[in-house]
Amino acid sequence: MNFVTPNGFNLDDSGRRMVVDPVTRIEGHMRCEVNLDSNNVIRNAVSSGTMWRGLEIILKGRDPRDAWAFCERICGVCTGTHALASVRTVENALGIKIPNNANIIRNLMQATLYAHDHLVHFYHLHALDWVDVVSALKADPKATSALAQSISPWPNSSPGYFTDVQAKLQRFVASGQLGPFMNGYWGNPAYLLPPEANLMAVAHYLEALDFQREIVKIHTVFGGKNPHPNWLVGGMACAINLDAPMAAGAPVNMVQLNLVSDIIDRTIKFIDEVYIPDLTAIASFYKGWDFGGGLAGKNILSYGEFPSKANDYSNNSLLMPRGAIINGNLNEIHDVDLTDPDQVQEFVDHSWYSYPDEAKGLHPWLGITEPNFVLGEKTIGTKTNIKQLDESAKYSFIKAARWRGMAMEVGPLSRFTLGYAKGMAEFKDPVDKLLTDLKLPVAALFTTLGRTAARGLEASWAAHQMRSFFNQLMANLAAGDTATANTDMWEPSTWPADAKGVGFAEAPRGALGHWIHIKDTKIELYQAVVPTTWNGSPRDPAGAVGAFEAALLNTPLADANQPLEILRTLHSFDPCLACSTH
Amino acid sequence: MTLNTQTFYELMRAQGTSRRSFLKFCSLTAAALGLEPAYANSIAYAMETKPRLPVLWMHGLECTCCSESFIRSGNPLSSDVILKMISLDYDDTLMAAAGEQAEAILDEIPKKYPGEYILAVEGNPPLNEDGMYCIVGGQPFVEKLKAVAANAKAVIAWGACASWGCVQAARPNPTNAVPIDKVITDKPIIKVPGCPPIAEVMTGVISYILTFNKLPELDSRGRPVMFYGQRIHDKCYRRPHFDAGEFVQSWDDEGARAGYCLYKMGCKGPTTYNACSTIRWNGGVSFPIQAGHGCIGCSEDNFWDNGPFYKRLSYVGAGLGVEATADEIGLIGAAAAGAGVAVHAGLSAVKQYNRKKPEPPVAPKGDQS
Amino acid sequence: MDAQVTPPPEVTAPVYVYELPVRLWHWITALAITMLAITGFLIGNPAWPLITGEPYNHYIMGDIRFIHFTAGYVLAIGMLVRIYWAFAGNTYAREIFIPHVWKREWRSSFFRTIRWYLLIEPETAKEVGHNPLAQLAMFTMFLLGVLFQIVTGFALYGEGTGPGSWANIVFSSWVIPAFSSSQDVHTWHHLGMWYLVIFVMIHVYMAIREDIMSRQTIISTMINGWRFFKDNRP
Ligand code: HEM
Ligand code: HEM
Ligand code: NFV
Ligand code: SF4
Ligand code: SF4
Ligand code: F3S
Ligand SMILES: [Mg+2]
Repeated sequence: MNFVTPNGFNLDDSGRRMVVDPVTRIEGHMRCEVNLDSNNVIRNAVSSGTMWRGLEIILKGRDPRDAWAFCERICGVCTGTHALASVRTVENALGIKIPNNANIIRNLMQATLYAHDHLVHFYHLHALDWVDVVSALKADPKATSALAQSISPWPNSSPGYFTDVQAKLQRFVASGQLGPFMNGYWGNPAYLLPPEANLMAVAHYLEALDFQREIVKIHTVFGGKNPHPNWLVGGMACAINLDAPMAAGAPVNMVQLNLVSDIIDRTIKFIDEVYIPDLTAIASFYKGWDFGGGLAGKNILSYGEFPSKANDYSNNSLLMPRGAIINGNLNEIHDVDLTDPDQVQEFVDHSWYSYPDEAKGLHPWLGITEPNFVLGEKTIGTKTNIKQLDESAKYSFIKAARWRGMAMEVGPLSRFTLGYAKGMAEFKDPVDKLLTDLKLPVAALFTTLGRTAARGLEASWAAHQMRSFFNQLMANLAAGDTATANTDMWEPSTWPADAKGVGFAEAPRGALGHWIHIKDTKIELYQAVVPTTWNGSPRDPAGAVGAFEAALLNTPLADANQPLEILRTLHSFDPCLACSTH
Repeated sequence: MTLNTQTFYELMRAQGTSRRSFLKFCSLTAAALGLEPAYANSIAYAMETKPRLPVLWMHGLECTCCSESFIRSGNPLSSDVILKMISLDYDDTLMAAAGEQAEAILDEIPKKYPGEYILAVEGNPPLNEDGMYCIVGGQPFVEKLKAVAANAKAVIAWGACASWGCVQAARPNPTNAVPIDKVITDKPIIKVPGCPPIAEVMTGVISYILTFNKLPELDSRGRPVMFYGQRIHDKCYRRPHFDAGEFVQSWDDEGARAGYCLYKMGCKGPTTYNACSTIRWNGGVSFPIQAGHGCIGCSEDNFWDNGPFYKRLSYVGAGLGVEATADEIGLIGAAAAGAGVAVHAGLSAVKQYNRKKPEPPVAPKGDQS
Repeated sequence: MDAQVTPPPEVTAPVYVYELPVRLWHWITALAITMLAITGFLIGNPAWPLITGEPYNHYIMGDIRFIHFTAGYVLAIGMLVRIYWAFAGNTYAREIFIPHVWKREWRSSFFRTIRWYLLIEPETAKEVGHNPLAQLAMFTMFLLGVLFQIVTGFALYGEGTGPGSWANIVFSSWVIPAFSSSQDVHTWHHLGMWYLVIFVMIHVYMAIREDIMSRQTIISTMINGWRFFKDNRP
């Protein structure tokens, strides 16, 4: 059957159906089904979130000051970002203002998350879609060294170094126990890197695995641990003590600040000298593989992030831009208002939930989360053994989030596109540089590779922001301001009897909003609409597809039994399923 | 219990594989990897000598933060654990394969090494909707979990989810998520609770098993006593302030800046068994209390429903529709008793007065001193 | 404090009800529980304002906890002695351990007492030991309450003294898992305090009221051991 979706995609489900379940190297549980035509080109795509925990239901009736901890457990990969959105939501509802230092520390922690999460995603969740590990065994370490030195001053680049890495890999492969690399798609013709580039990437896979644990120590200083650092409504709990008695036992003192500063330098260096050069090198070999655009460059959304002024969440204050672009018109940026009942809405007629009227969407302040696991008539298999989903009925635990009725793509590429469209140099210049280096047009951005590239550029942007936030913190401290928390409205007795709030963040994967209704000091309603809720959205009542499904369309598979290209495009979004359904 | 010291070759022989087909298996493996035939010999050699312990790491309802914590390990480096110490044959978060090719491993490994692999579980199975709140390969996670557990040597429950239920099992537990020991009942289960557990505790448990070839000593609840034998409070560096009665009274006050005890801010360190105050987090940089926030008790059973996090006393009675601390409930009870006593005393006084009147004053009174 | 009078002839002969160990135990226990409740409440709510300075100059929380634990030991050892005395002592020494609910006359007397407390009966029966309602309250509220506090209290105590200590082996090892977590044990131990506080309020009131309104002496009995009766009717 042929069908043109309201958002302009041509679907044809007549060809061979291929199922990928589980989709791996993502957070959480996801299933993907596609129909391939006779040339093994994807003509229909169905993405399904296959887990649900019910956090929104669990939050009801709890103390709003505790909500951040529950929300934080929505996801341990984008750890802390839900906590940030949550404390902002509660502060917004109750009118609580946070001190400058708290704002700076939160920004620093959020930027730390960007740097860490993007790095780990690139090397450990995404790289194997581009890098053939086994091919690295055939590389010439000398040539690898030459390649590495030609693109970066990073010191681990001698022929001996790569010989060692190769020997390590050799021993590993020769053990016959391939561990996480077992049953990979090694040798698939869609792998385009020469052995030397593969070897370099494998070396950096390992280096990044060892280095990433350093970055998060910034969370440990301010939040006590990572994953899942601690946050606080009204500021941060990490009191600062520079030279008063007992500073040694204080959360933040000179020693801890020095550690943070040192890690920032090392993070900038790693990202700029390893991540970005690798990204550029890999991209240069995949230039022709320009699939996976989908909604990118068409309908994109960002809520904005990094308030430069404490308690000011307006466009002017946000370092990361807010706005929406529709129908690919980069010349017009629409305002986004999270309190407007007509803007952000969620639909469930293709999701395993029920609404009284499923033809309509609901704004989160009126949101309903009521599970309803039913399979459509055309499902193949049984309730507990699904062979094929029926996408004409309910088929995912992800709700369909829509902005003014439209499916949107969110994430680093959307943010950079907005910054680009607004002409903001810090976003435009690195994009232009990358495109010039690779001799690619702007349109090349709106692809799988563009998504992956934008994430890398953003990691670098975030790492440099970390330095700037740290410097602001030090300037504030030098000026004698050491406050980290405002406790004027800590006690529930000071709260209004009825309050509604919305808090947002740009999580590593995109626009994140939390909505709350507080009644008699308890949570009456809590709703989260999460980046992967946007990107992984199933169809809406009109049949419009979400970003994952749109991006998969028209991609050819080199080997119809190996879903390498499907993984590649899905991974370019960095899907997080625990987030998406919560 | 002790763990396998057999080589995989011995294992395969024990299962009836001939030397000939073993060698054939090795060359096929090499070919499957696109390697030169020479590799077949190295593979055969490796399999005849030192096997790495196969680990299947399954994910249920969770947030993947236990995996994230695991890769934070500095000693040993998680890369060394994954590449040198164990054979992480299945882990949906890191593995290269997906879909059918991934699922095949879950069938293959238990058949190939029955009773010789470790099942590590992050997250937990929901039981409502026939288990379909967590679907893997079109089927309920709980069924896959039981199937893979059936032939495992031992099971590791990573984190609060697998050990106790954690956030999805918090009231009202919409999916009926249960800790894994509710569905795996016939295997030794090592519980490594925490939300998430400390990275070095996770790799510490694994390296203990590999180094000493036995499971660590467990307490009555299945936790390794080496890491969960004491409370945060027992080794907290703020403990002298607790004993002195020097408490932080509100966020960012003088006490907070001096590192006083967070007891009055709701710290659950006195009731939480974990190694945070000793081993600390992320290579010893800090831990929740050192960073100024109380412990929320994240390695404890039921800790989400033992809030609120900022009160020393937990709320009780939520199931009954009331929510109050023991003191609030007790005060109401005592006030009611007091009121009852007062009313009763009043009525009794009236009765006594009325009763006395008609009585002739002859009855002598007993000693009342 | 011994009985000093021969009762007037029209009065039923006095009975020696509470032997010295019971009386001593009663007042020691009363003191211990008072201390435990005060210190326990403070452990749950150290309500004092900020104290500053080097921690070695203060030991407030330490002292409070020390008093609590000492009183806890007094309470527990007292209870052991009292249990021994239930075997060694007179028949009244057993009353609070086994209310004779299965006996018909106990039950009719029980309902009579209830009517008396509901101000329906014009007067009480003559009670040599505790009246049945008191026995039941002693058993359910006092005895079970105190045993519960001792078990949970020593389970918490054993957490502090650590694995290998007697309290940890005898109590913590099973009590904590039975309640699912240490925090739950704290909550129930804390609720147990209020349970006993309510018992004590009612108990003291009843002791005073019955001393005035019943047909026998009450408070002095717990001091000198002798029960005197105020009239000579059956
Ligand atoms: C924490 C405080 C107290 C506790 C836990 C307590 C507990 C008890 C118990 C368990 C008994 C039964 C003794 C037995 O049969 O073995 C008893 C009897 C008695 N108590 Fe207390 N008591 C307390 C305070 C007081 C006070 C303050 C008074 C005095 C006003 C008092 C007066 C009595 C009297 C008169 C009896 C004997 C009642 C009778 O003869 O039926 N008690 N108490
Ligand atoms: C009538 C008997 C008792 C009462 C009313 C009582 C009351 C209390 C209360 C209210 C608390 C505070 C609980 C909280 O909120 O955390 C407490 C704590 C405690 N009690 Fe008791 N208790 C009694 C008997 C005992 C006994 C027999 C022991 C045994 C030694 C004991 C040991 C403890 C311990 C170890 C704590 C915890 C102290 C801490 O966390 O620092 N208690 N008690
Ligand atoms: N989607 C998502 Fe998250 C992110 N980034 C949340 O807000 O990953 Ni778990
Ligand atoms: S135990 Fe906590 S940290 Fe680990 S997966 Fe569960 S929710 Fe995440
Ligand atoms: S901060 Fe918490 S764990 Fe540390 S001494 Fe105080 S109450 Fe105990
Ligand atoms: S909250 Fe968890 S991380 Fe440690 S200090 Fe408490 S157990
Ligand atoms: Mg939601």
